[in-house]
Amino acid sequence: MNDQIALHTEGLTKHYGDVRALVDLDLDVRSGEVFGFLGPNGAGKTTMIRTVMDEIRPTSGRASILGMDCQERSVEIRRHIGYLPSDLALYPNLTGKDVLTYFANLRGGVDWSYVQALAERLGAQLDKKVGDLSSGNRQKVGVIQAFMNRPRLLIMDEPSNGLDPLVQREFQAMMREVVAQGSSVFLSSHTLSEVQRVADRVGIIRNGHLIARESVSSLRSKGMRSVELELASTPDADVFRRIDGVRDVAVENHRVQLSYEGKMAALLTTVAEHYDVIDISTQEADLEEIFLAYYHDERHDVAAEDVSR
Amino acid sequence: MLLTTVFGKTILDRWRGVTIGVVSLSALLYFGMVVYQDIDLSIYSNLPPAFEALIGIGENADVASLAYNAIYSSYGAIILAGIAIAMGSAFIAGEERKGTIGVLLGNPRSRTQVLVAKTAAMLVMMGLGGLVLAGVGLVTPASLGVSIGGMDVAAFTLHLVVGTLFYGFLALALGSWTGKTGVASGVSAGVLAVSFFAVGLLPMVEGGQTWAKAFPWYYFAGSDPLMNGVDWGHIAILGGAILALFVVAFVGVNRRDLRTRSTGVSLLDTLRANPLTAAATERLAGGARVSHIWVKSASEYQGLLFVVSALMFVVMGVLMGPIYSVIDDAVIEFGASFPDEMLALFGGGDLSTPEGYFQLESFGLVTPAALMVVTITIGAKALAGEEENRTMGILLANPVRRSGVVTEKLAAMVLYAVTVGLVVFAGTSAGNWISSLGMDYSNIAATAALATLVGLLFGALALLVGAATGRTRFAIAVPVGAALVLHTMNALASLTDAAWGRLSPFYYYLGSDPLNNGMAWGDAGLLLALTVVLVALAYPAFSRRDLRQTG
Repeated sequence: MNDQIALHTEGLTKHYGDVRALVDLDLDVRSGEVFGFLGPNGAGKTTMIRTVMDEIRPTSGRASILGMDCQERSVEIRRHIGYLPSDLALYPNLTGKDVLTYFANLRGGVDWSYVQALAERLGAQLDKKVGDLSSGNRQKVGVIQAFMNRPRLLIMDEPSNGLDPLVQREFQAMMREVVAQGSSVFLSSHTLSEVQRVADRVGIIRNGHLIARESVSSLRSKGMRSVELELASTPDADVFRRIDGVRDVAVENHRVQLSYEGKMAALLTTVAEHYDVIDISTQEADLEEIFLAYYHDERHDVAAEDVSR
Repeated sequence: MLLTTVFGKTILDRWRGVTIGVVSLSALLYFGMVVYQDIDLSIYSNLPPAFEALIGIGENADVASLAYNAIYSSYGAIILAGIAIAMGSAFIAGEERKGTIGVLLGNPRSRTQVLVAKTAAMLVMMGLGGLVLAGVGLVTPASLGVSIGGMDVAAFTLHLVVGTLFYGFLALALGSWTGKTGVASGVSAGVLAVSFFAVGLLPMVEGGQTWAKAFPWYYFAGSDPLMNGVDWGHIAILGGAILALFVVAFVGVNRRDLRTRSTGVSLLDTLRANPLTAAATERLAGGARVSHIWVKSASEYQGLLFVVSALMFVVMGVLMGPIYSVIDDAVIEFGASFPDEMLALFGGGDLSTPEGYFQLESFGLVTPAALMVVTITIGAKALAGEEENRTMGILLANPVRRSGVVTEKLAAMVLYAVTVGLVVFAGTSAGNWISSLGMDYSNIAATAALATLVGLLFGALALLVGAATGRTRFAIAVPVGAALVLHTMNALASLTDAAWGRLSPFYYYLGSDPLNNGMAWGDAGLLLALTVVLVALAYPAFSRRDLRQTG
């Protein structure tokens, strides 16, 4: 059993008929790290997770968890992992407590006081029927069942769905804690901010291809933001285009919208030289913008590879 | 295009069920007429009226009327009523249970408009189904050269459609009023079953004819529309009832808070919620219910098991004894003179003996059907249902094999089948004992055991189809369709002693007359072997494929 690698895939490929949901995916999740798996909807995140969970079988390639082959030793693997599927469905006629008892019975070795501690931490209602819970409260039950057997690897597909910001923060702290104890987390998400906050490394998937593997710090250093400025007069777009790190400039009356990568001071200084700034708002660039901005080359390579095949 | 209206969407959702029902009935009618042509029907000409009423044939028994009655008014009425009940309970209550009613009513449509559109879709589909059945009913005898004399096929199908629509509207009214699909379909199916038997049985009892009029089934078949044409009085009574039920639905859906994706409340829930009983219940049943996959699976169908068991024990078991005792002597005496080949048609029941009577009323059709309701429901929902509800992924995230899940689901099905089998044995034995009918208890046990095996066989088929496809719809349709065809095949083949009847598993159920002759171990072994084969195929079918991702 390889203690260094929690999850390993090698040329993992899944086709549904003509649809190539997953193409030649190679990645490693190390022990003691949170690995963020980022990608827009339909990129292949869930397909990848369902493949390593042995819900579906790869067209080619292989995957292993904790050194065990995902298909051949799937049952043994499941003693050591916690899993939270996307768009969680549970048994509506059972209470949260029933659901957790059920899975605890199937898994064995679950310490009930830990379950209660988790429930308290997340503010989960365990005495209500799952079908009568709001989706956020149902998600809490899902989170608890994933954590309750103190797994060595947590595989979670869009786990923050429906959780309010306070609970999300608690949940992220829980992830950091288990990682500090040596476990690993494989976290699929389409929210960059969540991944940035909690992950050590990130893999970015698009159209079934893994197009980047980076540490979060390097992703953050790229720190692309979308910026909206309100000025006293109608500006000249070219003034902005000349600034280093600026792209996609759009001017409408007194407003400018642009994407910017770099230190905010540099942008503001240049703008203030030319115009009277009335208001400014910035937000994290969404994933799509980052893909377009930074991974054009990788995508190009991938496309070329596809053609040559 | 059809999706532009609620009406169109309802048609899109439902046309398959109606089409499959109508096509199978058409095929069965054709098949029935072909077989009836081959047998000597002279024996039918002087049956007593009471007996004719029971088995639903007209005074001038001939090929056409026998086929119409055997196929359209028994299978046909039950299938159409079942389809109507499925629609009626799904329309309002079903959308609530799925949690889709909110988004549907988020559009600029009132509750009343949705109700009317869906109801209209039901009327149109049932109406078209009726037209097709009437057309097939006319074309089939013409193509086979069978004379239909003065029979009024149009009037007959009109009664059939209106008579079965009643149950659809009953389900619609109950579902709209309560928002609970279980109540809507359960009560409607119960009323259907009770009225079917009441109208069949009551006329055999002195003065029972009057009581039969209290049941809706009477207004479908009571006037013998095939021979006498449309009885507008009866149609008006059914129509009035349908209208009244629609008003109930209209008031019901408008008066109350709509339910969100809902959960039922079981007896266990009530006990757990009550502070007095909570602790004890929790200790006894709370955790036990989720201790194993098979226990949890079994606990999910306890309501179904209870209803089916109660029906089988009380109506088909205990009450059958006393009813047999009060049946008109004339019917029994007459029954003794029946030729064997004719008795086979009704499941081999010979009314002059209690064995034959129980075979005709209970074991021939109702007992295997009750068992199949239970086994096919669990078999289909065990794997495919968990997949469709998207819980299979998280269940299999636990250290259990897929084959282990199949085994545990199978265990729940076997447990339930055996339970129903035991209830049938107990009920029949109780009826036998109360009225001192003198049937042999070990023979009753043998027959109940064989029925259980038949139920398990079709449940295993449901399990296999569910394992292979992950779709409950197929997992229910295939075994139900197979059972229908194979049961008819066996009944028709036994008339002519045709060898092809042995291809039907039902031949190995009552073919040896176990109620008189005791256990046929060979037949039991064969049924069991077939079941084992189907189950054995289910394992690789489920283990090898990709799980579906729905929703």
